[in-house]
Amino acid sequence: MTHKTRSVILLTVGIAVLVALPVVVKSSFAIDIFIRILLFSFIGTAWNLMGGYAKQLSLGHAAYFGLGAYTSTILEINYNVSPWIGMVAGGAVAALASLPIGWLCFRLRGPYFTIATIATAQALMLIFLKFRDFAWGAEGTTIPNLGAAPLMMQFENKGSYYYVVLGLLLLGLLITWLIERSWVGNYLVAIGEDEDAAEAIGVNAPKMKRDIYMISAFLTALAGTFYTQYIYFIDPATAFSFNISIEAALVAIVGGIGTLWGPLIGTVLLETTSTLLQSWLGSSIGGIQLTVYSLILMAVILWRPTGLMGMIEELRQRHAGRAPARA
Amino acid sequence: MLKLENVSASYGSVPAIANVSIEIGKGEAVGLLGANGAGKSTTLRAISGLVKLTSGTVTFDGVDLASYPPHRIPEFGIAHVPEGRQIFPEMTVHENLEIGSYVPKAKAERRQTLELVYGIFPRLAERKKQLAGTMSGGEQQMLAVGRGLMLRPRLLMLDEPSLGLAPVMTDVTFEKIGEIHKIGTAILLVEQNVSRALSLVERAYVLESGNVIMSGTSAELVNNKQVQAAYLGI
Repeated sequence: MTHKTRSVILLTVGIAVLVALPVVVKSSFAIDIFIRILLFSFIGTAWNLMGGYAKQLSLGHAAYFGLGAYTSTILEINYNVSPWIGMVAGGAVAALASLPIGWLCFRLRGPYFTIATIATAQALMLIFLKFRDFAWGAEGTTIPNLGAAPLMMQFENKGSYYYVVLGLLLLGLLITWLIERSWVGNYLVAIGEDEDAAEAIGVNAPKMKRDIYMISAFLTALAGTFYTQYIYFIDPATAFSFNISIEAALVAIVGGIGTLWGPLIGTVLLETTSTLLQSWLGSSIGGIQLTVYSLILMAVILWRPTGLMGMIEELRQRHAGRAPARA
Repeated sequence: MLKLENVSASYGSVPAIANVSIEIGKGEAVGLLGANGAGKSTTLRAISGLVKLTSGTVTFDGVDLASYPPHRIPEFGIAHVPEGRQIFPEMTVHENLEIGSYVPKAKAERRQTLELVYGIFPRLAERKKQLAGTMSGGEQQMLAVGRGLMLRPRLLMLDEPSLGLAPVMTDVTFEKIGEIHKIGTAILLVEQNVSRALSLVERAYVLESGNVIMSGTSAELVNNKQVQAAYLGI
């Protein structure tokens, strides 16, 4: 069997399993976990485009998550616009916002860039906290429950939410796949590895970084809308939570940055571990699951800086018995 | 072809080069020599637009390069092989080369250029699929030069190609640069290894503390007492 047909079969089986999952598994607790996994895989995938391929390590993607969440919610509550439209509008707002934010942050490189992105997300959170007439201030607002209203992105069973977020993840993976196999993917990697050298061969690094940041911001905002619709609630602390920025980067780093499947694999590992640890250890000693979780994280980052995808690739090559090379 | 007139550049408030004037004709091989910190790399970076000029002009066939951002410079057929072999370690040898022909004109000739580069560097052809970062220093240097060639440059600027290489690899590298020059590429070679550089180039400029203190043909410089004392250890 060639490498290609095997990939196609694996992919088909994978998608079939994902589609069948909520039909087979009826437990609402389990589906809730699946939704979380798909959601963070999607956010990680969006982050990975910029953080993984172009190695611009942003810790401020909560800015776009929050902008997406607020745009669709404001449109829905104040203007009765469907969140489906609000979702795209949120993406557009986020993409636009990424221009000035990028203009500022891309002047810095390395850790300074990262710190600047943290600051932008925090600043946006403060704006939404202070301006009460604009967006309900610190107490936030609940989304009116309309029962089964698919056109308003509200469903009675969790399975439907599952399919929405699965669709988002597939979109993110498709975009990543298209970029990865095009020249743009190579240029992004070149920028990530050595920006000066990339410019020396003629790559327009500022434009490339700006464009990929826009795409990444757009996708992250879609996740924001979805999440708000799913939990029926929004406030600045959840929408612009630093945890979202961290999680986006973490799942990609643990899974393997700059790889198509890295964020998905990373999320599956991290979410399952944290859930299992919580149910096994959560009741014995308070906080022990967090300690174990952080130890696992440290171990991965220390011993497998290329992430799980790097590990899989290594095993495959050892299996095939050839020198380190990329197909 | 390339002309620098009274070029000055600085990093922040620290001046790096002052009033540097050099000229390179079509197909010529010119050296830029001097000790560490003399401003050789800065001169190349000024040509590539990676440092801003504080005064002076850089023109290529009469076009003012200073008004172009760094990524546009390769379009003129100027390839810069930076110091320290800045290859892309996570890409394969082949991918590194392919990405070297980014500008449209070079892209159109990518296939032929690849053959040319693999012809000059058979070692790279053997290691096509290897990750660039896993090769030896000398091989990485060849790759960096090869990637520069993928641009089909009219001027190839090399920054310390012998840096950190074993003497044998230095020999090979200089031999290859000679071959590239023979096919009609102008070379601007920055080197601390003065004797080696002078055996390759036709003319050279000597920099000291950011100023051109001497220039002449290789023969003149080799026989110059001052050069002998300061750089050749004779």
